Amino acid sequence: MQLDSKKHKGIASALSLVTAGLFAATGAQAQINDDPVTTSPQPASSSVQSGTDFNDDTYTDEGLIRVDAAILVYQEDGGRVQAIEPVVGITYNFEDDSSLSLKFTADILTGASPYGATPWQDTQTLFNPPSTGASGSTGTVSTSDVPPDILPLATGFSDQRYSVDAAYKTPWGESNTLSVSAGISRETDYKSFYGNVGYAHEFNQKNTTLSLSANVEYDISSPRGGHPTPLSISDGTTFNLENDHKTIFGGLIGISQIMNRRWLAQLNYNVSTSSGYQTDPYRVISVVDPVTGGPVRYLNEARPRSRLRQSVYFGNKIALWDTVTDLSARIYRDDWGVNSLTLNLATRVPVTNRFYVKPGVRYYAQSQADFFNYYLLDGQALPQFASPDARLDKFSAFTGSLMAGYKTSRTGEIYARITRYEPTGKTSTANAPGYLSGRDLFSGTASTSMIVGYTYAFK
Amino acid sequence: MTKAVLGFQVWRKNMMIKTDIQIHAFRAMASPCELRVECNDPKTVWQLGAIVEAEAKRIEAKYSRYRDDSMLSQINAANGAPIEVDRETAGLLDYAAHCYALSAGQFDITSGILRRAWRFDGSDNIPSKNDIEKLLPLIGWDKVIWEAPYLTLKKGMEIDFGGLGKEYAVDRALLLVQEATQRPALVNFGGDLRVSGPLRGEKPWQITLQSVDNHNKRDGVLAVTQGALATSGDAQRFLLKDGVRYSHILDPRTGWPVHNPPRSITVSAATCMEAGILSTLAMLQGEGAEDFLSTEKLRAWFIR
Repeated sequence: MQLDSKKHKGIASALSLVTAGLFAATGAQAQINDDPVTTSPQPASSSVQSGTDFNDDTYTDEGLIRVDAAILVYQEDGGRVQAIEPVVGITYNFEDDSSLSLKFTADILTGASPYGATPWQDTQTLFNPPSTGASGSTGTVSTSDVPPDILPLATGFSDQRYSVDAAYKTPWGESNTLSVSAGISRETDYKSFYGNVGYAHEFNQKNTTLSLSANVEYDISSPRGGHPTPLSISDGTTFNLENDHKTIFGGLIGISQIMNRRWLAQLNYNVSTSSGYQTDPYRVISVVDPVTGGPVRYLNEARPRSRLRQSVYFGNKIALWDTVTDLSARIYRDDWGVNSLTLNLATRVPVTNRFYVKPGVRYYAQSQADFFNYYLLDGQALPQFASPDARLDKFSAFTGSLMAGYKTSRTGEIYARITRYEPTGKTSTANAPGYLSGRDLFSGTASTSMIVGYTYAFK
Repeated sequence: MTKAVLGFQVWRKNMMIKTDIQIHAFRAMASPCELRVECNDPKTVWQLGAIVEAEAKRIEAKYSRYRDDSMLSQINAANGAPIEVDRETAGLLDYAAHCYALSAGQFDITSGILRRAWRFDGSDNIPSKNDIEKLLPLIGWDKVIWEAPYLTLKKGMEIDFGGLGKEYAVDRALLLVQEATQRPALVNFGGDLRVSGPLRGEKPWQITLQSVDNHNKRDGVLAVTQGALATSGDAQRFLLKDGVRYSHILDPRTGWPVHNPPRSITVSAATCMEAGILSTLAMLQGEGAEDFLSTEKLRAWFIR
């Protein structure tokens, strides 16, 4: 086959014939057929904040073995994350005032969590993080079509977390207590190891307690599909399959003082420094058109590798008539630019000598991290760090809770608590471009949680 | 609570549609390479990935100019003697001959020896006129005797498949994938890529174009349902002397860089080989690159 450019109008069309000739021997082009649409579980990162609070105004258990069992159900509004968390704890209280406790926790998480992308008036296509492994060179990525005008959520993720905690506490000499604790927790893409040593010294006729403690934590992050390169385009490419790590060192100094017969006060200072991988490997940030606000591309988010946190806590326990009231305030700041204030009020009110209720309210407000942004603007130089995580946004939140307990015996109690959490974003989007202007871009969500438990102590 | 329930229903109504894409990634031809297949079965992509990887490595081993044992190195070591080549190589040589003719000598697989004079390291090491003139007698497909299956290169001449080999490997690998499966697939060897059809029969593949400047400012995402993309250009490779920027796009007819080519051109075509040749030819037009692309009615993206 000889081809001459003069016989053809353009090089491109001539080339197309030549190329067809080259591949003619290789076999016919295959037909393209539809394949059934498949779904796969979506990983997502979302930490469910749940405290399982067992030590609630119980009396001395000296010489007894105490067992706690509870189940927590957590549900975010709008079909977001749902968690079921069973907890079992056992504490051996020895005759010499020392104690050993063990706690087992499981978390079953399912639901949907924000990609980090901003909403848009048309359907958006986003890459989901790979759902299979950091081993070998083969991985799965999937794309999702996100419907218009809603916050893009990665649906269908599920994960399990298991943790084991052990703690030992013993008196040392006349007025000192030593404590050590350690735990491990693991989920499919994250492992955490932590330990704590504490020392408490009572003086001033046991009216004052000085507490010192130090803790260390080591986390291994192994996200499905590896760690994306910070601020690279999110297109499902696998990167950096090796594990990454985070190390935290923390310290606490606290003093508690019996002010009078009805008032116990506590003042703590807490500092911690973490270094290592703190980025959310599954979260993206939209780069939007500066005029329309429409998505141009999606970048993997990036956070600094170090964080210094400090907080001061002032707590009070006040007994009036036969009620016990907890009143506390905490101020927090870190070098990411997040400052926060927490105010907490809860009162335990006995209704009969077996039945009590404990209503509580909490107010929380924080400023946004320096590198927080709902979106980046196309055509502007990239910042060093950027994240659209609601937990780094400026917001305030109210929490209301009601707890009720019933003593089944002198050492046994059945209890339940329902909690409602309602956050509100405070970042103004009045100056956002086009479609995003004036829109509520806060991606935090209200949630409801319920815990039911039973605790019992025996010889 | 009413609010919560309502929100949940809205979300259910807008349930998302998911598409699973399996990836097999490897390195070959000094580039990151990957196969993407729409399926949810890791075994399928593992099998297809093995085919693609084997084909890429076969072509690399046969046509690499960095390997002494490659067929290409044997051809270049013939020292003026005729060499009998196999059918595949003959096909590629025919192809290169056509490209030479179509481009009036601008695309020339004998031009690689210009690398002896030009080192594009951002320095001001401009070769002398004399250096270039010494090489010119060894450049030109018209000086080659090609009577299939016998190829005779003049003593001192060399050929290489620099502007063709990777693109050929992409096309070959995709053909092998298409013989094995009807699922939509994408073969991407170092940014030169080809797809076998849209996802779910309708949705384009989203292709990221990484910009040549470091600031990601001009990155974009292309939607591709059919065909291939290839990119020419590399902003890091140039020489600078007396304020003149010498691009690394060398015109084989003169031995000198073409004047003011775009920094990068990405061309869309039916096959990766066409896209590759056309992006190279567009670059060789220098200042006239845009005119060339519009005269040829090509879908292309370029960065000046």
